[in-house]
Amino acid sequence: MNALEYVTILLQTGLSSLTAYLAAHVLLCLLPAFFIAGALSALVPKEAITKYLGRDAPKWISYPASALGGFVLAVCSCTIMPLFASIHRKGAGLGPAITFLFVGPAVNILAISFTGVQIGMDIALARIVLSIVFGIGIGLLMAWFFRQDDEAHNAATNGGGAFAREDKVPGRTWVFFALLLGVLIAGTLQVGVLTRSYATFTLPGSWAGSFQAWLDSVVPPNPALGIEGVSVHGVLLIGLLILIAVTAWLGLNKVDEGFNGWTYVALGLVTLTLVVASFKVVAIAGSPSIGSRQGLSVGVTGKLIAEITLIAAVWWMAARRFEAYDIQEWLWEMWRFVKQIIPLLVVGVFLAGMARALIPATWIETLAGRNTVWANLAGVLFGVFMYFPTLVEVPIAQTFLSLGMHRGPLLAYLLADPELSVQSILITNSVIGRKKTAVYVVLVTIFSTLSGLIFGWFIR
Amino acid sequence: MEIKILGGGCAKCERLERLVREAASELGVEAAFTKVKDMDGIMAYDVMSTPALVINEEVKSSGHIPRKEEIAEWIQAAQGT
Repeated sequence: MNALEYVTILLQTGLSSLTAYLAAHVLLCLLPAFFIAGALSALVPKEAITKYLGRDAPKWISYPASALGGFVLAVCSCTIMPLFASIHRKGAGLGPAITFLFVGPAVNILAISFTGVQIGMDIALARIVLSIVFGIGIGLLMAWFFRQDDEAHNAATNGGGAFAREDKVPGRTWVFFALLLGVLIAGTLQVGVLTRSYATFTLPGSWAGSFQAWLDSVVPPNPALGIEGVSVHGVLLIGLLILIAVTAWLGLNKVDEGFNGWTYVALGLVTLTLVVASFKVVAIAGSPSIGSRQGLSVGVTGKLIAEITLIAAVWWMAARRFEAYDIQEWLWEMWRFVKQIIPLLVVGVFLAGMARALIPATWIETLAGRNTVWANLAGVLFGVFMYFPTLVEVPIAQTFLSLGMHRGPLLAYLLADPELSVQSILITNSVIGRKKTAVYVVLVTIFSTLSGLIFGWFIR
Repeated sequence: MEIKILGGGCAKCERLERLVREAASELGVEAAFTKVKDMDGIMAYDVMSTPALVINEEVKSSGHIPRKEEIAEWIQAAQGT
């Protein structure tokens, strides 16, 4: 193989994983997940949770509340560190602060739903359950190791009035979250009721089959490497995504100052894209000589009906049950997350896709093909030393999976990567000092390795 | 008047600062703005989450971005005293 062919193959695998991501996965999973993340950030008053994290809160309340807080409040890194520092210094103390710090990055709504769709619900569930259990475990251990420091600290600082403030989540916000979660679940859950087509019609035309053939030649599917290729449906959806990007830029960048025409266009396109993505579309390259029909077969799925109903309910609530200011905040936060995460994710997916063709599968199989202590530790250490932006750990993990990594070490890697990076260790260091940080890092390494090991043993 | 914005320089803090500056200039109030970005400086106030707004050493809001009308009321109240 000459160099040119090699580069072509690399670019092809990168491109095909990128297009497959955009067309198949980003849409029904990430699009709703970003709306949920924005709503968590904008519509949940922080005091609704921090009131349980005060100095005098009993342990059986403060630890679970910290874990919940990690899920609800930690969508943005700019909330994590100040909250971590204040829970440690003024609130419930070191233990719950550590629980909060541990749970936050591992179980945010974006990471969990993306992991579930991309790698499997088993890993996503394990990520939630083990993060919460071990987050509380590590918090309790840290509090016990440094119990004397915490007591001295308690005596030195007076109680934080900030934690005494109360607030609660209004009922309409709960309903709103339920609807948004419904959109996410209906779009991603693979059960018969949702995936079955209840009616099918065919758009005639021979272009569909030949277009599909052309797509297969540009980005050839390669099941051996887990490369899916792109469908006609996918191309349409990517086109819509690009339109959303342009209109959202015009309509959502300044949404905090009010809606403009582009805001409605962008939101309309988001709705349209989710609806189009819910159809089941297959190009049929039938042969005309035997009279079979050519064209695009379009199936009306259960998913489609569910999505249309739920999205309609979401917009109705947004328009009628919330103040315009709340909705502006919600969209502003959502768009901010998108701008922060998506560009890095696109680059990450492309590179992770190229790596599939670059890294010999035998390396991964030798290193982490079986569920051993060393394999799990290797997964954790890779997570610590490689710093990937939020969510990019998921395509990286998928690359490993397709190259033969065992699911146990894979989970160990997925737990450790967002928790520990050189950057996050330095920031933690500045808040709780070198000694506690060192103990924390060691505990996270041990616990992540153990989680992978237990999970890998469990699914065998 | 002394106005402080607490927060590590994220997008929300910048938006808060912009709103406060607008509110102050619309009222024609002279104010000295300080941005507090380091954790110790932020923790010196009774806040849990950023961005937070401090007017004349009194915490007015934290963890969310208040509306401009609210900010204007706080500035007027602080001026009256």
